[in-house]
Amino acid sequence: MTEAKKYFTRLGDGSSIHMTAEEIKADIEAGVADAVDRGKIDALTPEEKQKIFDIVTMPGKIVGVEPGKEIVMSNDSGAYKINVKSGIPISVDTEVLIYERVLGCDSVDVGNTDYNYKTAKGVAKREASKLKNALNISIMPLFYGAMPNLGFYTKPDGPVDNWAVLLPEGRVKESMDAQEEAVHHAVRDIVYVAEQMNDVGADGFQLDTSGAAGDADFLASLKACEEITRKFPNMGVEIGMAGEFVLGMHGKLKYNDVRLAGLYPHKQVKLAEQAGASIFGAVVNTNCNKSFPWNISRVCTFLKACSEAAVIPVHANVGMGVNGIPMCEILPSDMVSRADKAIVEICKLDGF
Amino acid sequence: MEKELILKEAFDSVIDSDEDKAMEVIKKAEEMGIDPVELLTEGFSAGIKHLGDLFGRGEVFLPELIFAAEVMKMVTTEIESKLEGGAMAKKGVMIIGTVEGDVHDIGKGIVASLVKTNGIEVIDLGREVPAQVFIDKAKEYNADIVGSSALLTTTMTVQKEIEELLKKEGLRDKVKTMIGGAPVTQRWADRIGADYYCEDASEGVKYALEYLANKN
Repeated sequence: MTEAKKYFTRLGDGSSIHMTAEEIKADIEAGVADAVDRGKIDALTPEEKQKIFDIVTMPGKIVGVEPGKEIVMSNDSGAYKINVKSGIPISVDTEVLIYERVLGCDSVDVGNTDYNYKTAKGVAKREASKLKNALNISIMPLFYGAMPNLGFYTKPDGPVDNWAVLLPEGRVKESMDAQEEAVHHAVRDIVYVAEQMNDVGADGFQLDTSGAAGDADFLASLKACEEITRKFPNMGVEIGMAGEFVLGMHGKLKYNDVRLAGLYPHKQVKLAEQAGASIFGAVVNTNCNKSFPWNISRVCTFLKACSEAAVIPVHANVGMGVNGIPMCEILPSDMVSRADKAIVEICKLDGF
Repeated sequence: MEKELILKEAFDSVIDSDEDKAMEVIKKAEEMGIDPVELLTEGFSAGIKHLGDLFGRGEVFLPELIFAAEVMKMVTTEIESKLEGGAMAKKGVMIIGTVEGDVHDIGKGIVASLVKTNGIEVIDLGREVPAQVFIDKAKEYNADIVGSSALLTTTMTVQKEIEELLKKEGLRDKVKTMIGGAPVTQRWADRIGADYYCEDASEGVKYALEYLANKN
């Protein structure tokens, strides 16, 4: 009896593994089932599952989307991946030009290296000047971006009590009050920064990694988005998420009568729309212990439901540890390109 | 059958964070002659474990978990007061903390609460704990288990440092190590020589109880 053919793939932490066709198919079924169970959403069709199987087992290290299915590419993290993160001494406006003219990106967000609105507020006019310089020499739309990051508003760095300290002590009411107060501070700061960016002609404003500090963090993004789009209607707002469901650190916060805690992408996007967002950045977590076929099938099930529910464009975050991309420092192009192809062709997303 | 119903009521009282109901269940169980330790582990503790699982799925939120933990604390104290000698025998000691450079301690806190409610003394070192502190505290408390949590690929290396320091200090055979966190895997545990990889809080409790039961 000959041994079944095995295909190269990876685990969620990037480790190389080899799986038989049967094993891959079983993981695809299990990944879809997990998303259906958690998100209470429809399963992928047999054809879509077969498509994932084909993508997983496709020959070639790097795969690509079919011609005509190319999508736009936006980039986050403040245009400091080349200069600050890679240590190549160039200015932000030069980095923007590299994104535009060398890497072929469709947009990038310019932001402070600390990448949160509380820090950006103190230097907002200087940040706006930096953005203006970049806008003057580039063609593609530029966003200003940072995280709402409510954690920055807790003591000792901020004005409110730290709910991560209060909660384990059983001081639930105080922790809820502290989170509600932090939302107020964050919205004020975000809108102030947005005003400075609108003044220099920013094309968009990015609320990145929303919900990172829980449901209050997501609420801050929604409220800030609502106010920004009302005050500065010519500047689009992108709300990008931190995780697949909104973590209930508060648990009772609502936006337009919808409880935020526990919402999965297909429901998050509807609230982003109500808040006036122009783009929604969907995120599904990668499980390090599961295979790429399991992870990407789960991702496609969630993202397809999100894409079908959405009226506004949905851009998937395809960075480390989310949306099928392994959680490791150097991202393997074999799985990144397969995740990209599956998300575009099955979930019909609008951008990355 | 009646015992099963009581255990179910105990389970539900924790799920509902209903302290009055929990106290009523303890009273009823006493009248029926049900072993209080069984009531705690099979009823109340099973409830909080289930809540931990629901939290991981986004179906239950942190304040609800905290309320339930408060009920557990009350229940544990009440049951302890009814036991001969006044307290349940301590099953062992566990040192737990989030490693240096890492501020993420929600998951670690949940593991600590669940382990504690299962009769194991927990020394929670908090977050951003240097490797050496894990070792110092393991010595100080004569720990059976050293648990560490890391949520970042850049901080999980501290778990390896803990393993190395335990060997250096001659403690490696005296304690079992348990590791967890989003980027942590069984393969990482194998690579650094950790004894247990825990995917979630329930697994942490399971391994701790199994190890201590065999040891004692």
